[in-house]
Amino acid sequence: MAVPVSQAWTVASYVLTQKLKGRKRYPLVLMLEPLFRCNLACAGCGKIQYPAHILKQELTPEECFRAAEECGAPMVSIPGGEPLLHPQMPEIVAGLVARKKYVYMCTNALLLKEKLHLFKPSKYLSFSVHVDGQREHHDFSVCREGGYDIAMEGIRAAVAAGFRVTTNTTLFDGADPNSVRAHFDDLMAAGVESMMVSPGYTYDKAPDQNHFLGKAKSRRLFRAILSNRKKSWQFNTHPLFSEFLMGKQNFECTPWGMPTFSIFGWQKPCYLLQDGYADTFKELMEETAWENYGAKSGNPQCANCMVHSGHEASAVDYNFSSLKGFLVTARKYMFPSAYPDPDAQKLLNEWRPEHSGPLVQIQSNNAVNDELQEVSGD
Amino acid sequence: MATEQQEHLKIEQLRQHNADEIETIAGREKENLEGWIPTLASDAEVRDALEKAFDYRGDVTITRKDGSQVTGYLFDRRTGSSLTDSFVRVIPTNERVKVNVVYAEIAALAFTGRDNAAGKSFEAWVKKYWEKKVAGEKNIRIDPEKLD
Ligand code: SF4
Repeated sequence: MAVPVSQAWTVASYVLTQKLKGRKRYPLVLMLEPLFRCNLACAGCGKIQYPAHILKQELTPEECFRAAEECGAPMVSIPGGEPLLHPQMPEIVAGLVARKKYVYMCTNALLLKEKLHLFKPSKYLSFSVHVDGQREHHDFSVCREGGYDIAMEGIRAAVAAGFRVTTNTTLFDGADPNSVRAHFDDLMAAGVESMMVSPGYTYDKAPDQNHFLGKAKSRRLFRAILSNRKKSWQFNTHPLFSEFLMGKQNFECTPWGMPTFSIFGWQKPCYLLQDGYADTFKELMEETAWENYGAKSGNPQCANCMVHSGHEASAVDYNFSSLKGFLVTARKYMFPSAYPDPDAQKLLNEWRPEHSGPLVQIQSNNAVNDELQEVSGD
Repeated sequence: MATEQQEHLKIEQLRQHNADEIETIAGREKENLEGWIPTLASDAEVRDALEKAFDYRGDVTITRKDGSQVTGYLFDRRTGSSLTDSFVRVIPTNERVKVNVVYAEIAALAFTGRDNAAGKSFEAWVKKYWEKKVAGEKNIRIDPEKLD
């Protein structure tokens, strides 16, 4: 996992403390949603569909700080909406950094370059830029031509200004693994610290209700993408979560691992599913019927879910739950694998973009395919 | 929590196949609730209508039995064992407060606001995109709606 040692140490000691205190449920990342409005109208997004009076509302910095303190998680992710539309975002980020929270400020980067001077580089702050693939894939999925170029310009400007920059890529049915791999090359060349990739979730409010990846296809896609990986690629996801996506591990969901706070309160049970709101973090933890969520619960809304916010905390919990888990994970950090897999390479070589899906109309990049005829990994 | 009716495509799919083997998972069929005024004759109808109001991405108008009204976004519901210990939570259109209304106090419900999740089909965007692309248009995009 490509994160600074101080961050890894903070997270490890936090989790160990929770374990020693005998806490069965502890948050790892606070998902802080200070507003829902956005300057994009992405095809896969179900977060922005509220009446105007709700979209105009935003959390105050004090509400954000109170939520961070109530929850106590060592990391705070700020999604939205687009956080850079919040006029007090620099103040919110500075306040969280002052509280020694590791902040991932998620952004589509349309405004990043022009707002960069309002932030100060810090080991506690990373801009997590959402880039859904190479130029045409990204532009199509955010429904805006030119979006990719602006995002990449924002990334380069932030890197040049000395900020930590990570990326987040969400994949839907029709994603082309060869193009995703070329996308990783582009991102690393732009100087990003590390990348995250995750399958989209079947948001019931998403405008596109027909292109959600099922689990079988997700695993095949991620096996093609993440096997035979290049040494230059750095990921900021837990190695066991990446194995989970590739079908090499099975984890149940940990919906309490990444709790969400917004203008409505603490969202039950997770970042994705709305089943009501609690007014306090304590109420969220104590009064949510956690047994009703996750694939094993039989809840149809969870049946397909493999997302990071529900499952990465399971990987973290696993590595601190037993000596075996700890040793397995430690080995993976010390000796990162490229996951050599000739079958996955075959999958890549034979993958043909499907022309049925709306996100796959982009012509395949032959140069990329040719380059990948042999097992890659430098 | 979605009702069984809302999730029926996925439930049907899961009845036929193991979730681990499904290639593409079903989405949800959109219900057209805008303008709907449900009948609230029985407890079950009250609960069902308020569950749908919780799921609705537009404002609703609730008329209480004392004649007073609240219009706004219904963002939460807490269901108890009876209508007297169940309540909805609403953020009114013009205030930043959270108003509680007990189910038993509700005389009428109307889905008065525009459904912000409706009418934004991705297929329509794809069609428009290709029409514009073929016409040689540049900078094709969907912009978020204006808030004022
Ligand atoms: S399985 Fe997914 S949708 Fe269900 S509770 Fe977990 S994270 Fe949320």
